[in-house]
Amino acid sequence: MIDVENLTKSYRKGATATQVLKGVTLRIAQGEFVSIMGRSGSGKSTLLNILGLLDQPDGGRYRLDGIDFSTADDDALSAARNRKIGFVFQQFHLLERASALRNVTLPLLYADGESDDGMARAEMALDAVGLSHRTHHVPSELSGGEQQRVAIARALINRPVLILADEPTGNLDAQAGTEILDIFRRLVTEGRTLVLVTHDMHVAACTDRTLVLDDGRITAERPGAIPSRIPREGRIDRA
Amino acid sequence: MSRNRARRKALVGSLVLSLQLLAAHPLRTALSLSGLLIGVATLIVMVAVGQGAERRVLERMRSMGTNLLIVIAAPAPRVLGRPRQVPVYTSLRVADASAIAEGSALAVAAAPVVTRPVVVHSDGFNTATVLTGTTPGGLLIRNIQADSGRLFNADDDQQQRRVALLGPTVAGSLFRGLDPVGRAIRVGRVPFEVIGVMRPLGTDPGGVDHDDQVVIPLTTAIRRVLNIPYVHTVLVQARNSADLDRLERDVRDILHARLPARSGTADPFIIQNQAVLLRTERGASRAMSRLTAGVAILAALVGGVGIAAVMLISVRERTREIGLRRALGARRRDIGRQFVLESAILAAIGGAAGVSVGVAAAAAAAILGPWELVISWAPALLGFCGSTLLGLAAGAIPAARAARLEPIEALQTE
Repeated sequence: MIDVENLTKSYRKGATATQVLKGVTLRIAQGEFVSIMGRSGSGKSTLLNILGLLDQPDGGRYRLDGIDFSTADDDALSAARNRKIGFVFQQFHLLERASALRNVTLPLLYADGESDDGMARAEMALDAVGLSHRTHHVPSELSGGEQQRVAIARALINRPVLILADEPTGNLDAQAGTEILDIFRRLVTEGRTLVLVTHDMHVAACTDRTLVLDDGRITAERPGAIPSRIPREGRIDRA
Repeated sequence: MSRNRARRKALVGSLVLSLQLLAAHPLRTALSLSGLLIGVATLIVMVAVGQGAERRVLERMRSMGTNLLIVIAAPAPRVLGRPRQVPVYTSLRVADASAIAEGSALAVAAAPVVTRPVVVHSDGFNTATVLTGTTPGGLLIRNIQADSGRLFNADDDQQQRRVALLGPTVAGSLFRGLDPVGRAIRVGRVPFEVIGVMRPLGTDPGGVDHDDQVVIPLTTAIRRVLNIPYVHTVLVQARNSADLDRLERDVRDILHARLPARSGTADPFIIQNQAVLLRTERGASRAMSRLTAGVAILAALVGGVGIAAVMLISVRERTREIGLRRALGARRRDIGRQFVLESAILAAIGGAAGVSVGVAAAAAAAILGPWELVISWAPALLGFCGSTLLGLAAGAIPAARAARLEPIEALQTE
């Protein structure tokens, strides 16, 4: 699914260039639930942005779903972001004046082709995250956990193969965070690939595999503690 | 097919979203629209005023006859070798009129006219007015018709009958609501019988009230009232106004042949060409219209700049939203299109508001004020479509700026 080789990236601020990624190599298979950990400035968000085609690496090779996007133009990158990838952000990034339903349908605006059943699909996506009773609420009327679940529904609407989450539980309390992770776990069991960035050990412990990033390089790789975190049945399906 | 439909749906979707965002800042939206609104409203009012003025000119001209040459005797500088203080007009004779009618194939009719300021008396009232003497043909050329009673005819003229037609203004002054027909008046000291009241002619562009006159047969006027051998004016009618310039040359040639040239002065007659007057009047009113339309268009352009400024602010404010849309799959051109569309919607709303305000103001002015306005669809349509196009243009720079944003930087903006 994800095949990264010797990825480098540096940012220029004024006269000084900072190298953020110094040769990252990793492979993630379809259906894996992977977390990337690291201290602030270790380059984990930059790596995630490159994996999400929001940013371009300076060097190295990145293949997503077998396709090399290093020379792709804006249209191809946009289409891939729209169809192959679902993003979940720490700050949710919902449109404040739009209802949950309209927020979820936002990616359909940019998807060519069949979108006649858009509303139905959005309702299904909201149902899948347990928000079928909140479809017409605007974000300010929802709790943080609910907002993040709307964002997850939005990420799912175009049935992407890869879901990328940047500190998805960073703005949530423990209870809401657990619910989000439960949803993620279920998406993985349904066959989706999920990569999340976190600096929370407990979150990382819920994933199959954890990559530790330090100073632009992957310095450790260890399996997550799966058994204690398998979602209990019916937990997230409360109406 | 389904691809197109999806595109159209997407367009409608972003339209709805754009409207919601505009509605979220009502004051700013209203302010950004005001320039365009004022421009379009001004344009509509000014075009209405201009067209009203032009129509008024045309109507007045038509009431006098648009196919008309007016040959006016020039004041004689000397009479019997002596200079005159009060101008006297001696050059035109009754026969000149018939000579013109017979001499030029372009002349449909020609009628001599005499005029003099007089005081007219009725039983109890008097008024200062103008006496006009002309032939029945002159009544026809001048489009004089009877509102009540009858016109005089050729027999009245030949028999030098003392019969008079009153203009509505004179009739009002002398009879104060009574029916003047059949009653007696005196023109100076000469008694007349009123045989009819004229249909109103209105005021000409020169400010002369054509309803303030008493019209009597030409021969009666010459022999019984004025006692003069000459006439003041000859009206010459052409088949249509296109012939007027050639007819003017014909008339000039005929009169030159008949009238002795005076030494050291210009022609002993002046020819007033209605076509020229009409052109001048229309030219003046059009120049005025153009000037005001120019100012209105300038105002609208300033309005367009206002919209561009507001859109630039909007792009800056919504940078994160743009980043999000890019992350969710929006292409650069999707983002650009959205801002152009928003700008166009903003401008279209401004244009529509301007049209409404302009039409309402013009209608109010037409009802309440003394002005005559013509409200037409062309400037309204032009105002609306022009505004929308202006909005499309004004949105170009903000849209380009929005589309240029890098998704990740846009997302990370605070």
